[in-house]
Amino acid sequence: MTIPGVAAPITAEQQLRREQRDQRNDKFFRYIVTGCALFVLISLLAAALSMLWGGREAFETFGWRFLWSSDWDAVQKKFGALVPIYGTLVTALIAMLIAVPVSFGISLFLTEIAPAWLRTPVSAAIELLAGIPSIIYGMWGLFVFVPFMGAHVSPWLDEHIGPLPIIGPLFQGPPIGLGMLTAGIVLGIMVIPFVSSVMREVFITVPVHLKESAYAVGNTTWEVVWDIVLPYTRSAVIGGIFLGLGRALGETMAVTFVLGNAHLLSPSLLQPGNSIAATIANEFTEADSPIYLSSLIALGFLLFVVTFVVLALARVMLNRLARRAGEDA
Amino acid sequence: MNRWQRRQSKDYVAKVFAVGATFFGLFWLAWILWTTVSKGLPALKWGLFTQMTPPPGADGGLLNAFAGSIEMCGLAILIGTPIGIGAGTYLAEYARHTKLGAAIRFVNDILLSAPSIVIGLFIYELMVRPMGHFSAWAGAVALSFIVLPVVVRTTDEMLKLVPIPMRESALALGVPQWKVVRQVLYRAALSGIVTGVLLALARISGETAPVLFTALNNQYWASSLNEPTANVPVVIFQYALSPFEFWHALAWAGAFVVTMLVLVLGLTSRWLVARGKVSYD
Amino acid sequence: MTEFAPAFSPFSTGAHKISTRAPAKVTAQNLSFYYGANKTLKNVSLIIQEKRVTALIGPSGCGKSTLLRIFNRMYAIYPKQRAEGEVLLDGENVLDPRYSINRLRTKVGMVFQKPVPFPMSIYDNVAYALRHYETLSRSQMDHRVEEALKSAAIWDEVKDKLGRSALGLSGGQQQRLCVARAIALKPEVLLLDEPTSALDPISTAKIEQLIDELKVNYTVLIVTHNMQQAARVSEFTGFMFLGELIEFGVTGDIFTRPTNKKTEDYITGRFG
Repeated sequence: MTIPGVAAPITAEQQLRREQRDQRNDKFFRYIVTGCALFVLISLLAAALSMLWGGREAFETFGWRFLWSSDWDAVQKKFGALVPIYGTLVTALIAMLIAVPVSFGISLFLTEIAPAWLRTPVSAAIELLAGIPSIIYGMWGLFVFVPFMGAHVSPWLDEHIGPLPIIGPLFQGPPIGLGMLTAGIVLGIMVIPFVSSVMREVFITVPVHLKESAYAVGNTTWEVVWDIVLPYTRSAVIGGIFLGLGRALGETMAVTFVLGNAHLLSPSLLQPGNSIAATIANEFTEADSPIYLSSLIALGFLLFVVTFVVLALARVMLNRLARRAGEDA
Repeated sequence: MNRWQRRQSKDYVAKVFAVGATFFGLFWLAWILWTTVSKGLPALKWGLFTQMTPPPGADGGLLNAFAGSIEMCGLAILIGTPIGIGAGTYLAEYARHTKLGAAIRFVNDILLSAPSIVIGLFIYELMVRPMGHFSAWAGAVALSFIVLPVVVRTTDEMLKLVPIPMRESALALGVPQWKVVRQVLYRAALSGIVTGVLLALARISGETAPVLFTALNNQYWASSLNEPTANVPVVIFQYALSPFEFWHALAWAGAFVVTMLVLVLGLTSRWLVARGKVSYD
Repeated sequence: MTEFAPAFSPFSTGAHKISTRAPAKVTAQNLSFYYGANKTLKNVSLIIQEKRVTALIGPSGCGKSTLLRIFNRMYAIYPKQRAEGEVLLDGENVLDPRYSINRLRTKVGMVFQKPVPFPMSIYDNVAYALRHYETLSRSQMDHRVEEALKSAAIWDEVKDKLGRSALGLSGGQQQRLCVARAIALKPEVLLLDEPTSALDPISTAKIEQLIDELKVNYTVLIVTHNMQQAARVSEFTGFMFLGELIEFGVTGDIFTRPTNKKTEDYITGRFG
């Protein structure tokens, strides 16, 4: 007679088999997920190695001179990374000069000044800047912003600041709109959401009682931020800035559209130039010799190394604050 | 001005600056979106989705480009998501405080922010060179390397959010760990993981650089995944830098569609996050 | 007079009578627990009698939850945690690495402080372990689920919505669901880790009543920081302090004639 709900009793042997099967499955599952995790680890390594391999011909041929030569001659097959490196660094610098203060202002606004109902929509809108694909930035840059710069900003700068001593040469150039300054501005806008979201997140982690006790003794908002929030979050803020810098260094499409793609080494920001990513993007499909291709990949490797260092530093700085916040919590 | 007034004015200046900075940021957003809409919307036409990419100077559509992008993005998600979930599971369930786990998280974060052109070159060396030609497969694999770190990070974070008592009560029933992860934890973290996938999708649909050296482009249909394949970002790239008006219009139309897609995906994932917010209190 | 003082245990001295003696279901011998290098439980030994309710009380951090969690080897998932000593369940040492943990957990169920229903339907919550361990037909499964929900005194409230998500239940209901889930496999011992501390008074009363009903079929070990609750529901009580079992005995005796000064101080509220 079968009692409802009571299955036939399990024999000890069946139980043992089930336990063994469970153990096997547990082990199997663990192997799979561990494998996936290790895959992540080796991907990065593989990426580095593959680019080193692809660029080896260029490194072998040109040696260290590759880094500071401004040659770029497809016919004579002589290539050097100086112009792209210079362009990458300068545009990234301009981008950070814009993005850092603006991001700071935005984070200040969102964490201390904005009323609660405004915070979500505004922060969502700023996040949107990060979501827009870089090719859209490029299109807007090329068709709208560049003409604007060429028609209004460049001539003005050339005329009014160009003649000045010292900083003058930075702003002398034709009113074509394309150039380092334009690219730097576009990059800066692209980087703003990254830096500001990190800043905002870390500003929030400051223990409320620290801020409240400061307010309680009559500090102004600015003083609380400058004297308490910033020092507390200093590592992470620097980390966020590095994160933005990493982005700016590696950005391709937006820069390709507005930098002008000229192998030109000029101190003027109004002149077109080239960046590592833009060079690769523009010339890859036209590279007609192995050394040409290898030089482009070698450039990629250089970019990889630089961004790796910057991003690693960013991560270290951000971890520092996370640990500290965990201790204070 | 006495000391108090000086402090007040500093505070005032800072506040004005903050508000100004916010307007500054929003201003650019508005300008870019406005440009995309005003140039892209008029360029929208039915033929966009029914006609192929045209030869230089001619008019046409973006049919094969859309198809190629859908194909490659879909494949990229299919490849990157399982590996990403696996790695995220490892980090959250087996390596939460270990050194290896910390190292993998570190590397993942770098992969997450790495320039996408680097990924493109990597896959070029890995697949295109040995194969001897560009292909949709290579494009999909390149994109999957962009999907991977996003899914790893979201899975890791979402699984870590599942309260420990839930984990423990499932294990206390004598159910083996792998089943607990699959049946209880994944379910609890599901909306978060899906959000991660959506975000990854939003990201790769607009990525140009990884596809540029891997799938290249194709004016016609690719007869297999083993051939260079048209895709929207590269077409936009090519057309925008060309001197042809028709091509410019198509580029704007493509840009508009991609931007709208990214917006919709972003809003959807935000909505999912808000909806799936179960309070575990 | 029935004696009840096995030689090794730090039971309170002095005669205390228990009218009926139940066999020992679980015996803990010389248990020590380590968190990393910290020794958080020091040489604890006690006997849990079958089909009785035993309570563990003590101030925060005294180790009562730690002790409870040894009985189903919950610490095993944390690499830094380690237990020494023996726990005999029906004579077998369950801390032995050769004793399957999952098998132990089918015999020793646990209910946690926070009600944590799985993100599934009510039915699936209860059936969860059943599905893994027993192959039952649909009607057999239905019967087992109903049985468990009835034993947990929640059947009437959920019988019409078994398919709905368990997250829609109130806190007290969720906790009773967790009890149903834990007893679905018909374990022999039930471990309750402060099961009512997250609940309102009415739900607490319902759970206490439930404990009274459960002890007919299950051996219950409950950890509580609420002394009055221990006095209400248990037959035996152990008082712990700083990782040691200070006193153990019949609940009535512990609360009216504690033999150890620390016990007396705790019970009279001098600290805790």
